Amino acid sequence: MSAKKPWCTRVTSDAKTTHIPWLGAAVLLLLPVAVLILGQFLPTYPLRVLDMILLYAILGLGLNIVVGYAGLLDLGFVAFYAIGAYSWALLASGQFDIHLPFWLVLIIGAGLAGIAGILLGIPVLRLRGDYLAIVTLGFGEIIRVLMNNLDGLTNGPQGIARIDEAHLFGWTLSTPLDFLYLLVGLLIIAFLFVWRIEGSALGTALSAVREDQDAARGCGIDTTRVKLVAFCTSAMIGGAGGVVFAAMQRFVSPESFTFWESLVIVLVIVVGGLGNPFGAILGATLLILIPEMLRAWADYRLLLYGIALVLIILSRPRGLLPRAYGPSWLMRRLGGGR
Amino acid sequence: MLRFDHVTKQFGGFKAVDDVSFTVRPGIITAVIGPNGAGKSTLVNMAAGSYRVSTGRILIDDVELQALPKHKIAHAGLSRTYQNIRLFDGMSVMKNLEVALVPPSIGSLVSDTFGFGGRREAEERRERCFEVLKTLGLAPFAERQAGSLAYGQQKLVELARAIVPKPRVLLLDEPAAGLNHGETEQLKQHILALRQPDLAMVLIEHDMKLIMSISDTIIVMNRGQLLAEGSPADIRANIEVQEAYLGQPGAIRDIEAAARGRRNRVRLREGEGLTWHQP
Repeated sequence: MSAKKPWCTRVTSDAKTTHIPWLGAAVLLLLPVAVLILGQFLPTYPLRVLDMILLYAILGLGLNIVVGYAGLLDLGFVAFYAIGAYSWALLASGQFDIHLPFWLVLIIGAGLAGIAGILLGIPVLRLRGDYLAIVTLGFGEIIRVLMNNLDGLTNGPQGIARIDEAHLFGWTLSTPLDFLYLLVGLLIIAFLFVWRIEGSALGTALSAVREDQDAARGCGIDTTRVKLVAFCTSAMIGGAGGVVFAAMQRFVSPESFTFWESLVIVLVIVVGGLGNPFGAILGATLLILIPEMLRAWADYRLLLYGIALVLIILSRPRGLLPRAYGPSWLMRRLGGGR
Repeated sequence: MLRFDHVTKQFGGFKAVDDVSFTVRPGIITAVIGPNGAGKSTLVNMAAGSYRVSTGRILIDDVELQALPKHKIAHAGLSRTYQNIRLFDGMSVMKNLEVALVPPSIGSLVSDTFGFGGRREAEERRERCFEVLKTLGLAPFAERQAGSLAYGQQKLVELARAIVPKPRVLLLDEPAAGLNHGETEQLKQHILALRQPDLAMVLIEHDMKLIMSISDTIIVMNRGQLLAEGSPADIRANIEVQEAYLGQPGAIRDIEAAARGRRNRVRLREGEGLTWHQP
């Protein structure tokens, strides 16, 4: 094999030597460090906004697995987020006087959401396109209505207050800055997780399902199983996000988990760029930041927000950062492996 | 070895395939010919699991395919190409091939994704794909988006995707449709090079010249039924076949007309059609 052609070096470099993409890794590391440094100087309110951006970026990364990679429109993602949030609210509060540690509930919340993802997936994954979207939308509403009506369990519409303060390995999470550290850490984990999926056989299978489901089956892909794995992993990220949300707010009520939330998360990845982990981060930044910046025009805020979104989608129909310009592309450009 | 055992496919009251039995042996190229609507593609689609068999059995060795879901048919060793190209357009050529090698079990998927020793397998899969691309002359396009390639190249990528998992049965549904003369010649060389003792190849084609030059045995179908089976020379000489085709004036022309009817996809020049000896 000649080592001159780019496709060739890529194939052989994977096989024989381990390139450490220093420059690419440095750029990727610089971002969270910059965010953390920025966090040191921000007053409380902007810091909260920054926390929300990071949280939505994590949710966007999770939803991206299903919508961006597998091409299945899921309009009920908020259900998994709610399951995670209520996990923390129920397992670490005076509600039933259970006080489990944060890290354990993080795992439980993600696990429960993952199970819910599989349970939702089994009946609905035969559906495609619009039908799937409608059923997932319904699922999101079912979970919210359940939370609203299971008074004995969730306090109904009043929600659950006086949730425990989160402690992680002897470190108390109380200020927005504490959560910034946690969220940056979780975002990095979710990012690496999603990026790894993209480059793996699972990612290849998901892309094939997105491109042509029947041909994928003809190539030996068990599409149902692959979609279930996607639903499950995506739900787990959503669940973990929910746990952090509840720990941050220390109050949950069904109001936080309306269809609007699902829609915002879908918008995060559509505006940012479907199937691109960077897109989820950029999309979350814009979708949280724009309404904050528009507060000055209180009455026209939602109108301007809508106009901004329409303009973005009109000018960049494939999102601000299209699929091809993901982290793997960055690494290649900066002379790394993968 | 692929075996059709009294296979019938009924669409409502219409029998697209009517009690067809034959065996495709490994090591040779079996062509299926017949006019449009003869049931050729229906046979392929049943074998590949796209259609359910109405009655009868389709077997690879002793494995009954008609009972399996589509993806398991692929794992049983059957690969196919499509009459109309069905690549994963948005993915690179390399990724298109890798799809055919995705490990089937959740365990291996997870270990591959999160790197508990799945790296070497992933590397072997990639090397296998690259190997196939090289043999088909597609290596320079490995990182190109499949949908951006020329038609003839896409056809080859589809062929590459079909042979990557080392199938035991390869179904080629009109591989030469839409190819120009040079591309068809190239395809012919590739198909001949694929011939190996443990691979059963089924070729469905309208290009008579291609069929006569590369197939080892030919199956003639008409109106869902098996009309004749034999070597190209036998088929040419087979009087019954000639009667069926030539007895009704123009019947043999059906095959060529079918090709001509899609002139933009199928190139068939005057005088290059199959010549049949009058009895």
